[in-house]
Amino acid sequence: MWLWIPLRSLWRNRRRTLLAIAIIAFGTAISFFVLAFLDSSRDQIRASSVAEYGNLQIASPLLFDNKAEGFEYLLSPDHVNLITESLYNEASFVARTVQLEFPGLVASGNRTQVVRVRSIEPESGLIDFSEFVVAGRPLREDDVASVLIGRSLADRLSVEPGDAITVTLTTVDGAYNATPLLIAGVYGFASEQVESQLLLIPLRFGQLLFNTTGVDRVIVGLNDIRATAAARDRIAMQIAEAGLPLEARTWDELSPFYQQLSSYFDLLFGFLTLAISVLVFFIILQVLTLAFLERTREIGTLRALGTTRAEVFRLFFSESVWLALIGSLLGVAGGIILSLGFNGLGIEWMPPGTVEPSVLATRIGLSTAVLPFLVSLTATLFSSLYPALHAARLRVVDALRAE
Amino acid sequence: MENNGRFCHVRGDRFLETRDLSKTYAMGTETVHALRDVCFVAPQGDFVVINGPSGSGKTTFLNLVSVIDRPSTGEVLIEEQPTSSLSERELAALRKSKIGLIFQSFNLIPVLSAAENVEYPLLLQRIEKHERRKRVAGLLAEVGLADLAKRRPSKLSGGQRQRVAIARALIARPKIVLADEPTANLDSETGASVMELMRGLNDEHCVTFLVVTHDPAVSDYAKRHVRILDGRLQEGGEDVVVDSTS
Repeated sequence: MWLWIPLRSLWRNRRRTLLAIAIIAFGTAISFFVLAFLDSSRDQIRASSVAEYGNLQIASPLLFDNKAEGFEYLLSPDHVNLITESLYNEASFVARTVQLEFPGLVASGNRTQVVRVRSIEPESGLIDFSEFVVAGRPLREDDVASVLIGRSLADRLSVEPGDAITVTLTTVDGAYNATPLLIAGVYGFASEQVESQLLLIPLRFGQLLFNTTGVDRVIVGLNDIRATAAARDRIAMQIAEAGLPLEARTWDELSPFYQQLSSYFDLLFGFLTLAISVLVFFIILQVLTLAFLERTREIGTLRALGTTRAEVFRLFFSESVWLALIGSLLGVAGGIILSLGFNGLGIEWMPPGTVEPSVLATRIGLSTAVLPFLVSLTATLFSSLYPALHAARLRVVDALRAE
Repeated sequence: MENNGRFCHVRGDRFLETRDLSKTYAMGTETVHALRDVCFVAPQGDFVVINGPSGSGKTTFLNLVSVIDRPSTGEVLIEEQPTSSLSERELAALRKSKIGLIFQSFNLIPVLSAAENVEYPLLLQRIEKHERRKRVAGLLAEVGLADLAKRRPSKLSGGQRQRVAIARALIARPKIVLADEPTANLDSETGASVMELMRGLNDEHCVTFLVVTHDPAVSDYAKRHVRILDGRLQEGGEDVVVDSTS
């Protein structure tokens, strides 16, 4: 009876119950939709960041923090071998590659541009940009003076695959080195900044240009992005045990853009959720206060029959539990429908700093449902505390006198 | 008084007693004396009708003896146990186990059927479902509502609602039933049948009844009359003991 008395009371005041459920469901659905949208956007940025940085990178903190005065951060082949051996102990380890990056100038005709020249292991399957090639071909292991150039830079220099550009840089010894490079292919990337500034050349040729046998970082690919933080901790421990003055940093630690955006998303969702919760709280408080007020005499009767204050509280609080459960569940269902409908529209937009339009989408999952559900549930239950306590604390004679 | 093989009415039995019971209310700067030093004793099985004009203190007296309100001074004793020191929880326990209440406006729970309304006090007592259903069915049959057990209060007439309320007041086998103007919202014929029912139950179950009323016809069913005037109780004449078997 403790279960169905509240249900019947809700059914008796159907109009008010429907209003309350609609408010809770609306708040939940909006929270769900916004969270699903932000999560989808976060996923896209995460994928882009992992494509740029790998799951994690191992390098000197001097390199990570831009505090190197010279080239003391470079890793020797022995260091790389030691690191590689330790990586084989990591269960989630899939692949590793190395990079050597240095600043330079690129010139074509009378156009010059400051660039970052990144030496990569072609065909390694990890950050080799082969999947981003939009014209020409990816770099190959047997390539020598070949380069993969970003689409924005190619446009700026008016070059295409088969053309030659000249790269000038400073070697580790401080000497100038300049070389012509043949454009093997053009890549497209989510970030305009990457496309316009990053040149990719084969590692062995890069080491030759830079006059070193070293690399500046080891990049690690894992089989599951969720395993990154734990893998980083284990790898960092092994590096420390090997006595190497290196650090392992995860993709999100290396991507300030992701960190800032993620914090912004959290703030946005937090603010929206708070606003919706406050709205739901006060509206439901109003609805329940009126509903309980109308039943003052009923409360008096219940108490006169021997119902304790705690039992009256339980009866009335149970009503809000039902309201909260039904409203929040309907809200989640509404959020799913809203999100699916939005995905179906296929709306495109050009995010700032990108070169290709992306499709606005939402990601529907358990995690996007749980938080809005719990927030609405909590807001509703909190809003019912005062009316239910008030109902329970009414003086019996006063309640019985109510009209 | 012999009834159903039980000795019901015991003279001198202080089943319900009030000692110097007073109730005052503050109205602005003035103090209103709703009840003044009321001393009253009712033995088990009594059927007391309390008369008095509006505002004389009848309902206040009923509220105090049903322990839904607390006196300003004085004491209510039920089965010779003082109630003024009891906590809210203990008073609720006392109401659900020993006191049955019948209200002028029936005060049935609108979302419950007739049977569920009657069942509710048993639910509070955590009585097992099978036993609950058995007792409800028996009592509804006794008040003539066996066929209307599943109806909601809104689908019952005034007389039927009051019968449900009476069954609800008696279902937990209370020692005392307090009725506030039980016939006020009923026509004279229905009122008479309700009073006959209450009187019959008083005789049969040996339950003490205190009935507050304006209705002179109700007095015909009393074993004892009490009048309240200006908050003071006046017991005019000797106790009237009605032989239920007569």
